[in-house]
Amino acid sequence: MNAADLARQLRALLPRGRVLTSAPQLAGYASDGLGFKAWLPDAVVIPADAQELAQFMRGAVALNLPVIMRGAGTSLSGGPVAAQGGVVVHTSGLRAIRHLEANGLWCEVECGVSLQELEQVLLPHGLFYPPDPSSGPVCTLGGNVASNAGGAHCFRYGVTSNYVLGVEALMLDGSLHRFGGPAGGRGPWREDWKRFMIGSEGTLAAFTRFWLRLLPLPEKIWTFRATFADLRATEAAIHALVAHPSAPAAIELLDPRAVAMVESSQMACGLPQGSFMLLVEIDGPAALVDGRVAEVAQLLRDAGSGDVQFSDEAAIRQRLWKARKAAGGLLGQLSPSYVVQDAVIPKRALAEVLQLVYDEADAAGIATVNIFHAGDGNLHPNFLFDARQPDQLEKVERISKRLMQRVVEVGGTLSGEHGIGNDKAAYMPMVFGIVGTRLQLAVAAAFNPAHQLNPLKVFEQRRFCA
Amino acid sequence: MKPESKLPFSNCTHCGLCLPVCPTYQQSGDENNSPRGRLRLWSEEAAGRLPADPWTDFYSAQCLGCLACESACPAHVPYGQLFERTRHEQASTGRFRPRLPLRLAAALLRRGRLLDLALSPLRLWRRLGLPLHPLLPPGRPALWQDSASYAAALMQRHRPNGPRVALLTGCLTEAALREINFATLRVLIENNCQVVVPRQQVCCGAMLEHSGQDGVEALRQRNRDAFASLEVEAVLSNAAGCGFALQKTLQPEIAVRDVLSFLAELGPKRRQRAANDGRRLHVDLPCHLLHGQRQGGIAPSVLDATGLPWALAPMAAECCGSGGVYNVQQPAEARAILQRKAAFLEQAAGDPPVLATANPVCMMQWHSARSLGLVNRHFEVRHVLELLDPGPL
Repeated sequence: MNAADLARQLRALLPRGRVLTSAPQLAGYASDGLGFKAWLPDAVVIPADAQELAQFMRGAVALNLPVIMRGAGTSLSGGPVAAQGGVVVHTSGLRAIRHLEANGLWCEVECGVSLQELEQVLLPHGLFYPPDPSSGPVCTLGGNVASNAGGAHCFRYGVTSNYVLGVEALMLDGSLHRFGGPAGGRGPWREDWKRFMIGSEGTLAAFTRFWLRLLPLPEKIWTFRATFADLRATEAAIHALVAHPSAPAAIELLDPRAVAMVESSQMACGLPQGSFMLLVEIDGPAALVDGRVAEVAQLLRDAGSGDVQFSDEAAIRQRLWKARKAAGGLLGQLSPSYVVQDAVIPKRALAEVLQLVYDEADAAGIATVNIFHAGDGNLHPNFLFDARQPDQLEKVERISKRLMQRVVEVGGTLSGEHGIGNDKAAYMPMVFGIVGTRLQLAVAAAFNPAHQLNPLKVFEQRRFCA
Repeated sequence: MKPESKLPFSNCTHCGLCLPVCPTYQQSGDENNSPRGRLRLWSEEAAGRLPADPWTDFYSAQCLGCLACESACPAHVPYGQLFERTRHEQASTGRFRPRLPLRLAAALLRRGRLLDLALSPLRLWRRLGLPLHPLLPPGRPALWQDSASYAAALMQRHRPNGPRVALLTGCLTEAALREINFATLRVLIENNCQVVVPRQQVCCGAMLEHSGQDGVEALRQRNRDAFASLEVEAVLSNAAGCGFALQKTLQPEIAVRDVLSFLAELGPKRRQRAANDGRRLHVDLPCHLLHGQRQGGIAPSVLDATGLPWALAPMAAECCGSGGVYNVQQPAEARAILQRKAAFLEQAAGDPPVLATANPVCMMQWHSARSLGLVNRHFEVRHVLELLDPGPL
């Protein structure tokens, strides 16, 4: 099909929405948060609403092109991009918060609602939706469910799958299906069908709306920051925190280079330079958590921190978290391009694997910055490089591969929250053998036989055959 | 765009934190209509991977230049500079065409005080209370006396001995909304400031920057000459956008401050209000105060000194659609952006509710919510300085 025919066909499917087909319009959709890689789609559509998205999906098979769902495009794994060309479907028109049942602690939202928009609606009701990826001001629930997103506070609260009561999704034939619903549970049959959808990275269906479980806001929050001279002492503190009955909500680690980066930005909040820093939070009923503050502070000191500060002031907390969460963008101060890995490892191997990251990066002359969810053992080594120099990317890929091999050896997984996308698809054979891969591909093919939805993602074999 | 451009497009890591603060992305839901999208288009064109294309021009022209993305950007991408440079290049090559009123204004501006002369009938019109352009709010500016001679007269009469400052009168403010400058002078002198208003000063150049037109550097040089030897603590501006443009011209040699932040340090005199004064202030924050001058907002002590109850307007930190000249260049888009922000006024507290801001061009945009029928209920638009005004001194 030539470009003019495609445009005509898409306009017929989306009379009210937008159809973008000219070269500059496509360039804006060539990348996600993994900015240095670009894949041009053949077209982009922005359905005006859910009804129009359904209309588009009914005509999707006949387009005979890959179809890629995209929320805000903040994925860090090359997920919502046209790796095999095709039509990118931007869900920015589906932004309704359809229902909030404050007493029942659930809400119904469309897939294009951002976490920040949801937070603003929930706040006056004293409620919150716990998953909190760093892209929260912009990322959408559609993307969160597709990648089973996590975030800093998931150490205690758990990830997206713990909060999705139901998923409504469009299949490639345009039929609408509901997996679960406001009552949660497992849906009409004993199997938990919605779990197929969560984390499926756009390979099974197009999400339209979700029913989400909410929690009351904690009555009191204490935020701690503690600095350590070396990695071993930091690791000791993490182990002690994880085992402590105060059950921290978040345990985040910033390495010295990350601290320096924050301090040279407008997010600066007076962090001491040159040390590893832990950002820890405990929350709950005031009477309970207030009584544990001194204990947590002592624990951090006992582990070797000479500088422990803590506060229950909202302004201080917000500044610290803003600095922590802007980290991905802050890397732009140092380098135009970066790759972030997302491996999860058993915590006993934390210092060892992190040391491997430093050693490998140093040997290759590649800068690395580490800011991650230490409580979960969810590493985020960022490798900085110049994408215009091909040998640098090769070096980063070599380091990443060696890291992933070690991660698998110590019993870890490839991704904690960012998803596999196409950036990490090459590592999948490390964790899935021939049979495992066949089973995994069979699941995708049951919903999406020709791999028309988001091809070349998660498994490299998932290529759309027109 | 030239490939040898030195400004770093590539600092953008594509994190997307600029999307939620961008009025045109929020309005359109189109990634290309966001800072991240525009940077991608400009850098692809600069690298020779995209040809010059009307769609690139379209998305570039849609930008308000509010700079909210700069405050949100962790990577320090100098979006404002890149935007101004691109706009200028696109205007030079005919890819961006400023509308006739902006081209006329530019031609007059470059010829010294011609704009002032050309716009002087507006003052008469406003004094007579005749209906005018939807962007022009009602008011009673002086017809012939200018701010320089008014300042000299007030100085002569009151002989303040506090900090010595100069006032940037602003081309449009002085020509059409002169009463705001007069109120500013009265507030400063009441607060014991010695104010000089050099007659040699010219437009700050912001209007030309916004519309990509030539002549900015010549205006800047004339302002450097006008303000260089005054020996003042600071040059003050009552227009957030003009103040920001003058900062780029005079700093670091001469400090340029917003009048309100300067007053906050002095602790301005408080106005007394009658018990039956039902007005309530809904404060909107100009983008170029927040994201250009990087002020946190308007100091609560200054707003308290108005003697009226106040609260920040909903979405106070988001652009009202003025964008300097955006409401002239892209009136439909500016109107749609304002419509979202102004809806609260229908139900806002106060009799009448007063929309207070700190930039005359934002005032004009807010006034259009009334004149264009976006808000049906009566409300007033005021500069905070008018609300601090002691009246005739």
